[in-house]
Amino acid sequence: MDRIRGLLGERILEMTNPAVRRIFLTLAPQDLVWALGRLKADMGYWHLSTISGVDLGDAFEFLYHLTDDLPGSLHVRTRTPKAEARIPSICSVIPGAVLYEREVQEMFGVVVENIPDNRRLLLSDDWPDGQHPLRKDWKHVRPEEKIPGGKS
Amino acid sequence: MKVQIPIGPQHPALKEPIGLRMTVEGEVIHDADLRLGYNHRGVEKVAEGRSYIQNLYLTERICGICSHSHSTTFAQGAEILFEIVPPKRGQFLRYLVSELERVHSHLLWLGVAGHEAGFDSFFMYVWRDREIVMDILEMISGNRVHYAINTIGGVRRDIDEAQRTKILDLLAVLRARTSFYLNLGTTEPSFVGRLAGVGYLSKEDAMSLCAVGPTARASNVPRDVRKDDPYGIYDEVPFEVCTADTCDVLGRTVVRIKEVLQSYDIMEYLLRNLPAGPVAVKAPRRPKPGEIVSRYEAPRGENIHYIKSNGTDKPERLKVRAPTLGNYAATIAMLKKGFIADIPLIFAAIDPCICCAERSVELVDSRSGRPSVVRWSELRRMAGRRAARDSKKRNVEWPL
Repeated sequence: MDRIRGLLGERILEMTNPAVRRIFLTLAPQDLVWALGRLKADMGYWHLSTISGVDLGDAFEFLYHLTDDLPGSLHVRTRTPKAEARIPSICSVIPGAVLYEREVQEMFGVVVENIPDNRRLLLSDDWPDGQHPLRKDWKHVRPEEKIPGGKS
Repeated sequence: MKVQIPIGPQHPALKEPIGLRMTVEGEVIHDADLRLGYNHRGVEKVAEGRSYIQNLYLTERICGICSHSHSTTFAQGAEILFEIVPPKRGQFLRYLVSELERVHSHLLWLGVAGHEAGFDSFFMYVWRDREIVMDILEMISGNRVHYAINTIGGVRRDIDEAQRTKILDLLAVLRARTSFYLNLGTTEPSFVGRLAGVGYLSKEDAMSLCAVGPTARASNVPRDVRKDDPYGIYDEVPFEVCTADTCDVLGRTVVRIKEVLQSYDIMEYLLRNLPAGPVAVKAPRRPKPGEIVSRYEAPRGENIHYIKSNGTDKPERLKVRAPTLGNYAATIAMLKKGFIADIPLIFAAIDPCICCAERSVELVDSRSGRPSVVRWSELRRMAGRRAARDSKKRNVEWPL
């Protein structure tokens, strides 16, 4: 933890260690690419397990689950307001992140800036634009069943 | 001339359809593209509307082969949120089932690899062995596929002394038979020659593309959550992380074989040191607000669940990352510069849940531009013909 604090300095908004071998770190979205680059180069956090998104009501929270060769894992948290949801793409640092970024992009409707590939990954091709299933205000409405020829 | 070939996505026997699009020139793959979501079930959204104990059974249904791994990952996380610790005997039984699942999954994979490489008798022998594991699992849990043995706070069923001795006897049989068949399969030069050099993934690529599990370990990246972040009882059980440095399908086979043998050791340790006592504690209805990241080494690689609790009996958010998703980016790198005939083998080598079915591939003739649909079996015959022509890998030695 002290090494991370020394490496990232003032840009850390919050850092906690709630469980054994788990460090949670909060950063501003604009510092993310820089910080992950430093963490990878100087501390060996090269593996991204996944990106988890959480809908907090008026903001989105994204967690980047990182691991290195030592025991334990680092979870970098960043927040972006729902009205203008934007996070930078980290593919320049960790190329394997692209699938996870495509996933959060369509599930939460967040704009991932500079993403190398912004096609749809999971939702179907005829999915309507502007519908993002993992937002809390999104509800699934089953389309009314149409029986050809009407009910008998 | 470059042509695009679509592979997949649909086959009634698949539980995980996937759309692949290959750009090929002649028989060499230049680029591969992926389209997922043909079987997206919205588990994460559904989980937000269910209680923790219901979610345990929901997560079990994420996968059919490694069903126990998802429910264990969820249970581990939920137990920390509920602030309970499962009793020692319950933990031993839980991870005993985990290791049995790893053995049955790897044996299944080994059989499939034999099948895709054109060694069908090996496939049948290995799958006959696998029945012993399935019988043990049925004896412990009452089920062959969805064991449903986990509960929040421990496991649901205990084993008695007779069952314990029976399992130990069966494990001895299994170990003897596995060694014999492995020797049989791994000294067969045509089988080894078919696997060597196929689906190359360098260590640098495996690291930058975030490969997990046996795929990463075969590229000499010694990552195993059981060692890196020991959960449950893994900090007291002696075992080794198995790696290979050949970076190809042969390496992935070696890693899985070594892991099966390690799993036998782990299971024998667990059964011989099985403590007495209860198998579960009662969990409260509601957890404390908080968040937890639970990691688990599934047969295919790292499983990670992020659970956020808001103090009610339903989770605020459950994020699930299954290992196959982590390996897709690496698979695309493996397919590049490979041959069309190697697609089944390379794809099967990451052990996705889509390897055991016959499926059709549409090949576009580069001269006439006419698409023609080829069955999976025909593709395997083509692979066999190409391997017969290729004589440079005849004398590869088995690195075990």
